Amino acid sequence: MSEYALLIILFAPFLGAVALIFVPRREALLTRLVAATSSGICLLASLYIFFAYDIERGGFQFVQRFPWSEELGIAFYLGVDGIGGPLVLASAILLFAGVFVSWHIQDRTKEFYIFLLILAAATIGVFMSLDLFFLYFFYEMSVLPMYLLLGIWGSHTKGYLSMTDPEGRRLRDSVGFIFNFGSNSKEYAAMKLTLFLSAGAVVALMGILLIYHFSGLHTFDILVLREQAHFSGTLATIIWLLIFFGFASIAPIWPLHSWSPVGHAAAPAATSMLHAGVLMKLGHFSIIRVGYEILPETTRDLIPIAAILCVFSIIYGGLVSYFAKDTKYVIGYSSSSHMGYIFLGMAALDYISLTGAVIYMFAHALATGMLFAMAGWVYDQTHTRDIPSLGGLVERMPFLAGAFIVACMASIGMPGTVNFIAEVMIIVGSWQKYPFQVIVAVLGIVLTMAYLFRMMRGLFYGRLVPEYAHVQDTHAFVDRMPLLLMIFCSISLGIFPGHFYEVVRSTVVPMLDRINQVAPLLTQTSTSFLP
Amino acid sequence: MTFDLALTGSDLLLLLPEILLTLWLCLMVCLDFSMRKITHQNLAYLGIGGVLATLVVLIWFDLTGITGTLFKNMFVLDRLAIFFKIFILLATALVMCSSIDSVRTFRFFKGEYYFLVLMSTLGMMFMASAGDLLSVFVTVEFSTFGFYVLVAYLRDDLRSSEAGLKFFILGVFAAGLLAYGISLVYGETGTLIFSDIAGTSGSYGMTIGFLLIFAALGFKIGAVPFHSWIPDTYQGAPTPVTAFLSIAPKGAAIAILIRMFYVALASFKPMWVLLFIAGSILSMTYGNIVAIAQKNIKRLLAYSGIAQIGNVLIGLAAGTKQGSDAILFYLLTYLFANLGAFAVVIGVSHIIKSDEIEDYSGLNRRSPFLAASMLLFLLSLAGVPPLAGFIGKLYLFVAAIDQELYTLLIFGLINIIISMYYYLIVVKKMYINEPLDPSPLTVSIPLKTVVYVGIAGTLLLGIYPKPFIDWAVSATLMFSNIAGPTAAAGSIFGG
Repeated sequence: MSEYALLIILFAPFLGAVALIFVPRREALLTRLVAATSSGICLLASLYIFFAYDIERGGFQFVQRFPWSEELGIAFYLGVDGIGGPLVLASAILLFAGVFVSWHIQDRTKEFYIFLLILAAATIGVFMSLDLFFLYFFYEMSVLPMYLLLGIWGSHTKGYLSMTDPEGRRLRDSVGFIFNFGSNSKEYAAMKLTLFLSAGAVVALMGILLIYHFSGLHTFDILVLREQAHFSGTLATIIWLLIFFGFASIAPIWPLHSWSPVGHAAAPAATSMLHAGVLMKLGHFSIIRVGYEILPETTRDLIPIAAILCVFSIIYGGLVSYFAKDTKYVIGYSSSSHMGYIFLGMAALDYISLTGAVIYMFAHALATGMLFAMAGWVYDQTHTRDIPSLGGLVERMPFLAGAFIVACMASIGMPGTVNFIAEVMIIVGSWQKYPFQVIVAVLGIVLTMAYLFRMMRGLFYGRLVPEYAHVQDTHAFVDRMPLLLMIFCSISLGIFPGHFYEVVRSTVVPMLDRINQVAPLLTQTSTSFLP
Repeated sequence: MTFDLALTGSDLLLLLPEILLTLWLCLMVCLDFSMRKITHQNLAYLGIGGVLATLVVLIWFDLTGITGTLFKNMFVLDRLAIFFKIFILLATALVMCSSIDSVRTFRFFKGEYYFLVLMSTLGMMFMASAGDLLSVFVTVEFSTFGFYVLVAYLRDDLRSSEAGLKFFILGVFAAGLLAYGISLVYGETGTLIFSDIAGTSGSYGMTIGFLLIFAALGFKIGAVPFHSWIPDTYQGAPTPVTAFLSIAPKGAAIAILIRMFYVALASFKPMWVLLFIAGSILSMTYGNIVAIAQKNIKRLLAYSGIAQIGNVLIGLAAGTKQGSDAILFYLLTYLFANLGAFAVVIGVSHIIKSDEIEDYSGLNRRSPFLAASMLLFLLSLAGVPPLAGFIGKLYLFVAAIDQELYTLLIFGLINIIISMYYYLIVVKKMYINEPLDPSPLTVSIPLKTVVYVGIAGTLLLGIYPKPFIDWAVSATLMFSNIAGPTAAAGSIFGG
């Protein structure tokens, strides 16, 4: 079992998707059960690797290697370290929850679950790839299902966000020739997301090809490249920038973020959960896996770029969230704001802050997953996401309102949730190097509090709008289970973070040693890049 | 030049596939004329049987390593030729299988259709074996001859006649260029055989000659700037003919290009690398950008085909053994995805009588099978993992970066994004838009077979490409010693 754990995690959703092809279209319940079973197997195996990860030994574990093409130097090489393992678990939790969150989808159920399972499996594949080729393979593979999930089962945004397009779908994008669907339509969101992410992916692919060529090793194996490849000078800078901005576009870092809130707003709930929860972390993860592992010296010289850009991410995302009127826009922009914290934690190159960043990836996945699941439920019931037109839903949805408070607390980082630990570690770890950014980050937390409470009040409190007097709470077990699962994970890891912390630490410490111990290439490493 | 025509048994063995196919061809045409009762379906199955029998012979050749040359290198049967012959026969079998529905709607000459398809196939098989310029000319014209008739097969259809005329005039023009180029090369070097040309020193006449030959072959593969016939011909021709035209002649012409440039002109590599870089960038960019504006699925596939040929030329621009491996593998991926996509187009147009992309709206609701397979084929053409096209593109890019052709690589990568846009537009129509007429579509068994073969190939080459890569690698073993990874041209152009 132990050595095949990763294969089980990766192939359970894939095989589930294949099995679904043969399920007759009428059998909607069977379709859901197949999806639930395959994601359940995936979740159990992920829990196993999370707890069975050997902290003493560290490094890559549960390794599986199959030669795939000697001609190109590619092997199907899987393994997780203390960073990949928790993220695999996060993906599995969100997939399992997502299957239940979308339990009531009626239109083309079969296709929906096929694409959802492929999306999640591809995401999981990235987190466990030890071969650059397969890292890219799964990365690109995770983008395409998003197009269909958004396009088919998504919803138009109807110009809720008054600052983008007051005329709604009739107005065209500035590049109307290309995006002639109207900039608030789901088609626009889907196309923008796919093209943006694919463009980021090919930029990263250029970097990967340069690594492949100039290492002279004729291999895509990350471990071999880590030990034997040496890049320096302009070449290393170019490669690093390609890798960083290519992958950061999915993260999404500030100037490259514009696809993300639009995509979140248009997507169905389960897709938003996976998208904000784990898909965006592919960016951070890939930067760590490729940039930090293969180009440690360059990372140390250039990572201050992330520290600068994360300030914009945090402030910009927070402010837009505060003024947005669409529930999903609020959560979407809050996600892109919170991604700034991860970049801050990564940029400081301190082991506390980097550990905090990895834990934050996990914590944010749970928190934002809950928020999107609930925003999706509210939307399904009321058919609107317009915050000003909603209100008083607590009378009709007491359970959901309670869960929403927990999710907001988690998102803000209240003690008791795992987000708290992550935030504190990022802030403490980065203070030495980037005091200015830390101050911004703390202000960002205040801002988070402001917009989440504002949304909570707008949705659940105040006077119940008579129009929505008929809405239903989550009564069935399948509807409550995903929320309870995510709340349980968030709180239990928040109270007992010991094992989690050790797992991440076992990988982060040797990685930072490699980055920090080598002699500086440039004379001035910018500790005081900003005041 | 004198030929020793005392062919021995082992010499004849080398010609066995062609002889077999010729006999089969005669049999088919005799049956068609003599037996009134034989239906065109049975004739089609008979033809497919002949193609498969020939395929078996060739696979046997490949496995046992039977190779050789005939007629003083005019006919070369090496692993490369065997690869391309298998490629062409595979395409022919799939095209014949997907033709059955369309042939039923023809008013005249149902039986001759299969005869003409097989005759073109025969010509293309000889193209794959052409070892000197004379046989290049003869075989190219031989194979194109059948296509002139096939393209204009819908006699009463104005578009088809127009397509045939356009194809014919430009085709004959290309033949003229080819003949003129060959005569110039012969005048300068005094030989027509590729391996002998390799020993001569360059001259202006030879350069012009080969440029003309390149132009004529560029016409066959539809590379910019020799592409102008493609969209109209593709749109007007009967769809199975379009499918055939979009893959088999391209493969055969690429075989000649590889042989000509890798064998005859190996010592002039720095010059022709620039030619291919320019051709590749132009074809990719032009094909992809113009494809965005298309409203007709056949025209869209025509322009996407131009762009795909641009991708193939990346391999020739690399000019290495790895480059030719990548081309061979890429052509295989293109075969399955492209023929699959055309099979879906045939299936849809057979029922809704239209090729407009607008009429693909809601295809997912009308026929989930056709929509899902079209999705796979288009994404494979776009190069999305885990489908075949992705591995093919990556292979080409790896070959290009080994030669440090950065400009070409950047254009190739940008073009992936551009092409993704218009493929996704078709996907959007099929999946997101609602159908105007929700009646379900049914697909006939032969067409379904082609689509299944396409899906199987697209997935298999994407997920487990190793045996196919190995096959491509072993097919081009003779190029192992072609100029290594430090081409002068790369540093001039790529910086």
